Amino acid sequence: MKTNRRFVTATAVVITAVLMLSGCGSTGQPSAVKALTGAGATFPYPLYFKMFDVYAGATGVKVNYNSIGSGGGIRALTDKTVDFGASDAYLTDEEEAAMGAPVLHIPTCIGAVVLSYNLEGNPALSLDGPIVADIFLGTIKKWNDPSIASLNPGAALPDLPITVVHRSDGSGTTSIFTSYLSAVSSHWNSAVGAGKSVSWPAGIGGKGNDGVAGMISQNKGAIGYIELVYAEQSAMPAASLRNSSGAFIKPSLSSSAAAAIGILPDDLRVMIVNSPAPDAYPISAFTWILVYKEQQYAGRTLQQAQALHNMLTWVLTDGQSVNESLYYAKLPQAAVEKALALVNSMTYGGATIAQ
Amino acid sequence: MVARQSRSDRRELVRERVFDAVSLTAAVALVATIVLFFLQLFIASRDSRAAFGLPFLWRSEWNPVTEQFGALPMIVGTLITGFGALLVSTPFALGVAIFLADYASKRVAGPVKSLIGLLGGLPSVIFGLWGLFVLVPLVSRFEVWFGHLVGSEALVTAGTTGVGLLSAILLLAIMILPFSASLILESLIVVPAELREGALALGATKWDTIQNIELPYVRRSTVGALVLALGRALGETMAVTMVIGNGIRMPHSLFDPSNTLASAIANQFLEATSPLYISSLIELGLVLFVLAILINVAARMILRRGVET
Repeated sequence: MKTNRRFVTATAVVITAVLMLSGCGSTGQPSAVKALTGAGATFPYPLYFKMFDVYAGATGVKVNYNSIGSGGGIRALTDKTVDFGASDAYLTDEEEAAMGAPVLHIPTCIGAVVLSYNLEGNPALSLDGPIVADIFLGTIKKWNDPSIASLNPGAALPDLPITVVHRSDGSGTTSIFTSYLSAVSSHWNSAVGAGKSVSWPAGIGGKGNDGVAGMISQNKGAIGYIELVYAEQSAMPAASLRNSSGAFIKPSLSSSAAAAIGILPDDLRVMIVNSPAPDAYPISAFTWILVYKEQQYAGRTLQQAQALHNMLTWVLTDGQSVNESLYYAKLPQAAVEKALALVNSMTYGGATIAQ
Repeated sequence: MVARQSRSDRRELVRERVFDAVSLTAAVALVATIVLFFLQLFIASRDSRAAFGLPFLWRSEWNPVTEQFGALPMIVGTLITGFGALLVSTPFALGVAIFLADYASKRVAGPVKSLIGLLGGLPSVIFGLWGLFVLVPLVSRFEVWFGHLVGSEALVTAGTTGVGLLSAILLLAIMILPFSASLILESLIVVPAELREGALALGATKWDTIQNIELPYVRRSTVGALVLALGRALGETMAVTMVIGNGIRMPHSLFDPSNTLASAIANQFLEATSPLYISSLIELGLVLFVLAILINVAARMILRRGVET
């Protein structure tokens, strides 16, 4: 009887241990050359979904993209469980060091963040960076504030409190928006700063673009930031912003693409907010695909590296024709050329991959 | 005959042994899961514990940009919404349970019980949507009315959106009601009929019987039901996120936006990249885990004291 019980206990412990451990061993290594796997940002997901669908039709190479968030994409690439990651913010030096090997930033499109609002009759609104910063700092509290009125002499601005709406979840959109505010307002830069999540001094948070848009449309007097794609699709009002050359620019595909015209660094690791280009909408940014420069890692084959190289080249050339149908701005030619140079610098075992 | 007998004996013995092993496995796995949960949270929050130590619990700054993290606003938001919801929903839960056990006819009780089950099974995002589009505007109107009533300039002019602690409390109260109500009802139903009949035979009214016989009889299981309901309120994520306003600041009134441990984790984890930030979010999970255990232990101690006196 005693041995019996011991036997039962031992069996139980073994079964438990097996159950517990069986969850730990799985990896997402793609095995076939005819498939590539990527993970990351949610913002470009509709674009990538469409692009990779077209690409599979044209070449037979399937690309699986999981929109698990930029943070998850960076983790997956660090763990080497995917062929590429995707992020709305470029890697900080610290994050790149954690990757253990050089990473290339390949931009795929340009996104813009717009300020949407809910006022009686939704008049066209013009704002500038310092005013937007003061609104989000909570120092401009009412719509009829003289600073807003001076930029909008025609509009009837009500004596209504401003309700600030921001994202509650960490997001590339917040990163782009707060980078802009930090660039145009020293007060914002020192009090809050820029990041995917920040410590908001005022306002309420909504989850995702739809959460923020919902809060805006439910509250008279609300203002918040959402992606251009989302504002276009749901026909929400968007404020014009004064750019660094003094012009008031309405957010659009062409005005956000214009932000990337000018001097770009060769590694394309750059925030193009507050662009010096004269007709640029100032809250614009790249979104990137991240790949290791050296492709021979974690047992990858040369064919797999070539498949990735071909896919990235396609995204930067033929694939760009998909962008505007989905409200993502195309990369300007100068950016495409620099990005192609980056793709062609990928190596396998030290030798160049480009055919 | 004898041989057949012993074969079936042996088969029975094997069956017993297998059953023993399976049920013991289930029990060990349950305990092991909880212990491993705790260990995993403890290990993964190492960076955060090393950087902030115990003051993590009472620091009120949560700033991912400067990487200064403290859990106090989330702990406060979690406790206020959890206990607030319990306070609001308990009278209703008791009322519903007593009504169904003692007053309602079978024709009424059946449908009401299945409706309660239905309410308990609704996905929380549905509650969240209802909260956002129906409850929040009502709370916003109440807020303006209340602001005028107490003559508070700040309440009326600060942009009354309706999202905040009060909306979260009311929504959670509705969400946990089915749990506490049906658990209390289950225990009321099993109050022995002799006790109830005895009281009635002694001339007690229905109310006397409920007050002096039934409620004392089910006190223990009622506290258990409320602790379970509180556990659900503390851990609720999606619905709370939609109505609480997600401000990570110390709230000054019930109308202020706030945040809870669970919703902060759900909101921020996906896009967190720096090791210290991730580690701090995991420590929030650890705090929630410990909080849930503490509440369970406290409820047990209250119960034990209740039994002794």
